[in-house]
Amino acid sequence: MARRLIDTDIHERVLYEDLITYLENPWKRYITDCHWLQEKHMPYTQPAVAGVDRADARVPDGRPAGTDLAFMQQQLLDANQHSFGVLTGALDPSPSSMHGWYEMATALASAYNDWQIENWLEKDERLYGSVHIAAQDPQGAVREIERVGPHPKMVQILLPIDDNLWGDPYYHPIYEAAEHHDLMIGMHHNEPPTHFGRWPRYFIEWHTLIPTSHMIQVSNMVYNGVFEKYPQLKLMMIEGGFTYVPHLMRKMDQQYTDLRHEVPWVKRMPSRIVREHVRFTTQPMEEMSKHDFLQFVDQMGSEDIICFSTDYPHWDYDSPARALPALGEPLRQKIFFDNAKAFYPKLPEVHGGGGNRETSSV
Amino acid sequence: MEVGGTVKQAVCKKNDLRPGGMMKATLGRMPIVVCRTLDGGFYAFSNQCIHQGAPMSEGVVCGASAPTDQPGEYRYVKEGEILRCPWHGREYDIKNEGRMLSDPNRRLPGFKVAIEGDDVVVSK
Repeated sequence: MARRLIDTDIHERVLYEDLITYLENPWKRYITDCHWLQEKHMPYTQPAVAGVDRADARVPDGRPAGTDLAFMQQQLLDANQHSFGVLTGALDPSPSSMHGWYEMATALASAYNDWQIENWLEKDERLYGSVHIAAQDPQGAVREIERVGPHPKMVQILLPIDDNLWGDPYYHPIYEAAEHHDLMIGMHHNEPPTHFGRWPRYFIEWHTLIPTSHMIQVSNMVYNGVFEKYPQLKLMMIEGGFTYVPHLMRKMDQQYTDLRHEVPWVKRMPSRIVREHVRFTTQPMEEMSKHDFLQFVDQMGSEDIICFSTDYPHWDYDSPARALPALGEPLRQKIFFDNAKAFYPKLPEVHGGGGNRETSSV
Repeated sequence: MEVGGTVKQAVCKKNDLRPGGMMKATLGRMPIVVCRTLDGGFYAFSNQCIHQGAPMSEGVVCGASAPTDQPGEYRYVKEGEILRCPWHGREYDIKNEGRMLSDPNRRLPGFKVAIEGDDVVVSK
């Protein structure tokens, strides 16, 4: 039987010219006439051979990596026999990251969702999507969740990790809407969430410390009581890996033991909240032996909280066949399939092996 | 051609590769990458990165920043002698047995190369 695989981090990418069709005026004209694009500040483009992409993932016709479904199918979904893949966007645009002009951000989120549904989710039954919102305007964000959240292939709401702390009660209407529609929350880092919102001198510094930005969000969501208030809500931390998690669990438990009085709405040990509500994608995997790997699992106290991801088509892609040590069953299947399947309630049942033919249609 | 447990095979012509270039080929059924350095030398390695199996021939032949004692100093050396993985960008030194620049104890498996007439002949 083919092995089942859920890939929890696939970066499809839109070109602004492809987004225009899905925008109304005046938003469309701001792009066509005024050449609006979201400001990006990353000073490094050089981490690998082809910048931040796999060098072999550029579309053969020259378009950037991640822009073409057929090529993604060939290079990723078919080659690895994905059962399901969860699309997480390329954070360009990233509406929830915009410092102002939330009306434009809201329009971009809607356009992106429509583009994603039409060109990806409804074109390949293996692909599932993330609802993009402009979270700075929670009421507008809720309207967008109400609009596209019921789509059968939308499985989570995407929030970028940058300089917003998403556990703040200001954003709780988003979580109420998520829970109502069986959507989970996915968080993925964007432009500099580390180093006090600035860029360090070298890419290697930034990339090394990305997990610190994930730690900030997990502790913020836990201590602000999000998971006590919305008991069905779960959070996927995407592309931070998981090796920081044992430290974070232990540190939060110790702090809670002493400082519970400050956050009396938190009623469970933080490590328990993490085990019950938070999941972590594997990529970028540090190279490690089975022994090393199992030590991390043991220290997290659960085999159920890490989920495999490739990060395709980015430079630090993890191969489903090669990134993890040989773990043996049933742990391997938990990480490659069961944990993500249990996390996303909208994923359909799979009968038989890994390919898409056995999945129920949408 | 297999002789006494070794495989020997003409994998390409000399003129198929410009100096500083590379191309994929097969040795028996094994995927290999053939590199030609700027001084005209030919080298052959496994076409699978030892990290996660990426196809090395989709990467790039380039140079590298030399190790230095001075923070902030960039000195680009070994032009045409470094083979970089297309995924994670690991640097392998073509003329130093395919050793990884960041960890010379690890290397891309290499093969013997001989020039016989116009043929580039690889053996293992």
